[in-house]
Amino acid sequence: MKAVGARLPRYDGLQHVTGQSLYVDDVRVPGLLWTKALRSPHHSALIRHLDTSAAERLPGVHAIITHEDVPVNVVGHLAALGVPADEPLLAEHEVRYLGQPIAAVAAESEEAAQAAVDAIEVSYEEREPFLDIRKAFDPEVPKLTPEGNLFFYEPHQERRVRKGDVEWAFDKADHIVQGVYRPGAIEHAPTETQVALVVPEATGRLTVYSCTQAMYFSMGVVATHLGVPLNRLKFVGGTVGGGFGGKVDTATETIAALLALKAKWPVKWRWTREEEFLCSSVRAAWHVEIADAVTTEGWILGRRTMTLHDAGAYTRFSSYGATKHTFHLTGAYTIPNVAFNSYVVWTNHVPTTAMRGFGVTSVSFAVEMHMNRIAETIGMDPWELRLQNANRIGDTAPTRVTLKDPSAVPTMLAAAQAAGVELAGDYRTMTSEPRAGRLLPEHLASQVGDLGSNGGGQ
Amino acid sequence: MAKRRGRGFAMIEYPTGMNQGGDPSQAWIKVKPDGRIDVFAGTVDIGQGSKTVHTQIVADTIGVPYDWVTMDNSNTDSSPLCTGTFASRGTFIGGNAVAVAAKRTRERILEIAAKEMEIDPSDLEVADGEVTAKGAPDRKLSVSDVAAAATWTHGEMITGSGAWMKPYSAPDPDTGECEPHAAISYATCVADVEVDDETGEVRVLKLIQVYDVGRAINPTLVEGQIEGGGMMGLGLGLLEATYPYYPELDNRGDQFGAYLAPSMEELPEMENVILENPSAEGPFGAKAIGEMANNAQPPAICAAIHDAVGVWITECPASPERVLRALESKSEPRRVGKRVIYDEELSVAKLSSTGGEGFLRVDQ
Amino acid sequence: MNLTVNGAEYELASPPLASLLYALREEIGITSAKAGCQQGGCGTCTVLIDGQPRRACLTPLLTVDGASVQTVEGLGDADNLSPVQAAFYEHYAAQCGFCTAGMIMAATALVERKAGATREDVLDALGGHFCRCTGYVKIVEAVVAAAAGEVDTARPDPQDEAGEPEVVIPGSPA
Repeated sequence: MKAVGARLPRYDGLQHVTGQSLYVDDVRVPGLLWTKALRSPHHSALIRHLDTSAAERLPGVHAIITHEDVPVNVVGHLAALGVPADEPLLAEHEVRYLGQPIAAVAAESEEAAQAAVDAIEVSYEEREPFLDIRKAFDPEVPKLTPEGNLFFYEPHQERRVRKGDVEWAFDKADHIVQGVYRPGAIEHAPTETQVALVVPEATGRLTVYSCTQAMYFSMGVVATHLGVPLNRLKFVGGTVGGGFGGKVDTATETIAALLALKAKWPVKWRWTREEEFLCSSVRAAWHVEIADAVTTEGWILGRRTMTLHDAGAYTRFSSYGATKHTFHLTGAYTIPNVAFNSYVVWTNHVPTTAMRGFGVTSVSFAVEMHMNRIAETIGMDPWELRLQNANRIGDTAPTRVTLKDPSAVPTMLAAAQAAGVELAGDYRTMTSEPRAGRLLPEHLASQVGDLGSNGGGQ
Repeated sequence: MAKRRGRGFAMIEYPTGMNQGGDPSQAWIKVKPDGRIDVFAGTVDIGQGSKTVHTQIVADTIGVPYDWVTMDNSNTDSSPLCTGTFASRGTFIGGNAVAVAAKRTRERILEIAAKEMEIDPSDLEVADGEVTAKGAPDRKLSVSDVAAAATWTHGEMITGSGAWMKPYSAPDPDTGECEPHAAISYATCVADVEVDDETGEVRVLKLIQVYDVGRAINPTLVEGQIEGGGMMGLGLGLLEATYPYYPELDNRGDQFGAYLAPSMEELPEMENVILENPSAEGPFGAKAIGEMANNAQPPAICAAIHDAVGVWITECPASPERVLRALESKSEPRRVGKRVIYDEELSVAKLSSTGGEGFLRVDQ
Repeated sequence: MNLTVNGAEYELASPPLASLLYALREEIGITSAKAGCQQGGCGTCTVLIDGQPRRACLTPLLTVDGASVQTVEGLGDADNLSPVQAAFYEHYAAQCGFCTAGMIMAATALVERKAGATREDVLDALGGHFCRCTGYVKIVEAVVAAAAGEVDTARPDPQDEAGEPEVVIPGSPA
């Protein structure tokens, strides 16, 4: 019997249906303390005064931490990729988004922890927030950093992709079709909220029960904040109540660990659903402007794009996501002349992060909607427009990768068949085979790549 | 004053693995004295079923029944590194890692079996928990007996470990040239909708979804991604908004019912088609589906809205308010020479106080 | 406060206005009912109180003094699944599993109340239960099957599917 290809039951199926699957919140340890955080009530403000001494004296309170308790407060999630660290674990002199954590309390009950949070003395000087990414360069808007509101992709402001000759394409085109696409920010909304439980062990190690999607990544983040080697930590997890990209941020583990170290008791931080909706990182809002050079025969000779990505208050993974976005802006089509420019913009929205499809979800929306506008403009059937321009074996992507085995055409034909859509003429029998005949006009001939080259690009 | 039906579709692609690579996964395997297989891998199962898929890969790669294999991804003391469950890398990269470990375990099993059976390992094969001489099926030894022999006769341990990674590829900062991914999946989604042109409400009636996943290691788990992703895409396209008046900050929902994540009542009819166009480097030819599963629905639904009521919604979600405003404004693109300009009122040129100075714009 | 949970009797020390969810999870140690939202909006805390599906997070203890509560632990175990549990297992109605216990309890109440419940009955009874992973398709299929009695409660075996011939791709480590 073969296992691969078989509809075998879930490895964890029985434990799920009998209620035996253990999530972080289900782990039971004696002496557990609960956590509540002091969070910024403002979208943008300076912190003028912070005093936790009154809160520390309240009954049931075992530990309170501020940025002063964090060995390394500012750690970049993408430091390994050379992206500068910009986000404090606990706010220092300012807050840049509503809900940003400033202090955290570990106490014997959720109520005691919340009472202590409410007793922390804090005062702010509110600032006007910057919200509209389209105004990122405008001189009159508030600036989140001394350098402004845009991430710098050394040596350019923007992530660039350039291939072929867009000037030629736009000159040659019969039509230039322009559109603006704005898919919005949404929540991951997993059924399990962010949660971590940290147990200080007799050995001096910390056991971190975590809902993370990435055990070693999160372990690395905590270790860096604490300034300890990896073997001081043991991450336990692997069973998560939904993530969808929102549980890579390591949102609870470090603060719970610092409280556990200070209190010398196990500490759990379980976010409420309100915190999950209002303070957890979100899918970014995107703004994608496309201009396509098209012919009346339905060829897309060239494409120019300008993308603005709303990173929210801090970078997190945005520079990676906008890069991935830019590499895919031809969609599933072969467009030989391109100029793509993508900007990562900081705003006083909640920091954005990866969510299912990260970077490419916005491409799919923008490019597919734009294809429909092209079809409308030149009066071509939208199935035919796509089949004609769809990736074929040997086509080159904007990153110069030669496509060895694209399946754009077969998935379209299968969908058309399932939907009862009758395709006309040669469209009905199109394949992924290398371009030839009428599918290989002169402007596509020079972009056909060497199938024997590069190992990447399927 | 009518409910109008429409159909739209979208065709998309999505890469496997972290963009630009450099994201390894590791695994190691040990064999118990009775031949049962213990796998230690770091891939987190967030519901997508990686524990199941990896176990299937190991079972077939070594050649033992599926229920001989246990999978432990529970902690970082015993499990080696997996970069993480994201970027659609769990089946491909995580799966390749367990496959490498399994292949090496299989080689060790054959080494021991060869000693026991006095046959060259290259003349042996393993399937269903038995080592058999090629061409001489009566000469066989169970994997249980091989494991026992290794432990008690030879004083050896049967293990296998390995890792898999696509090396990091840095992009050229001027052109973007690089090798960003090891495989690409493609998909097409057809959406049938019903639009109430008086209330602006859109109901998705049916989604036909076709995915090329390379190889469906577990077809039912693939369906789970198609269906779960389908509803998530429906939410992204029609219902959900962290900022209902983006970019403004007001009226955020802080509970279910105020934040409109899809419920069972929004469930359309779903027809799933799985295609297998194997990848060159994935385990058993697999590619990926997890992330792309919610990418095709928003444009398919918005295309269907246009088919139904003749308006283009290019901001998500296509809320009833947006649909009604679009119906009211009946906007047409502006034509200037050969330029056909849609959505001008949303553009940087219109909203920026300097007309978008500083940006490299598409209308220049 | 006195409570019978899955047939066992408890005398509770939790305050009268504490939620039943709190008492179950923190005092008794039954964790299948989850704290998904504690707003009554997701259904992951659903248990049966005197046979009726209720949100434990919204149920103050004093209103269930003396009542009989059933959670998924009281339905069956791996070797002896209830029909609804078996249906969820067979139909792959769980992915991450976090919403599963609540879904199963609500489905159990429906199936007991109405044999042959239709898809519409299932949407009506379970429509207030949130799942983010499955897209609901296999959950609905499972409950309809359980309501129709089309479930084998003996532990289902992995399906022996011969499938396509093995495809070995050059370059694949497998």
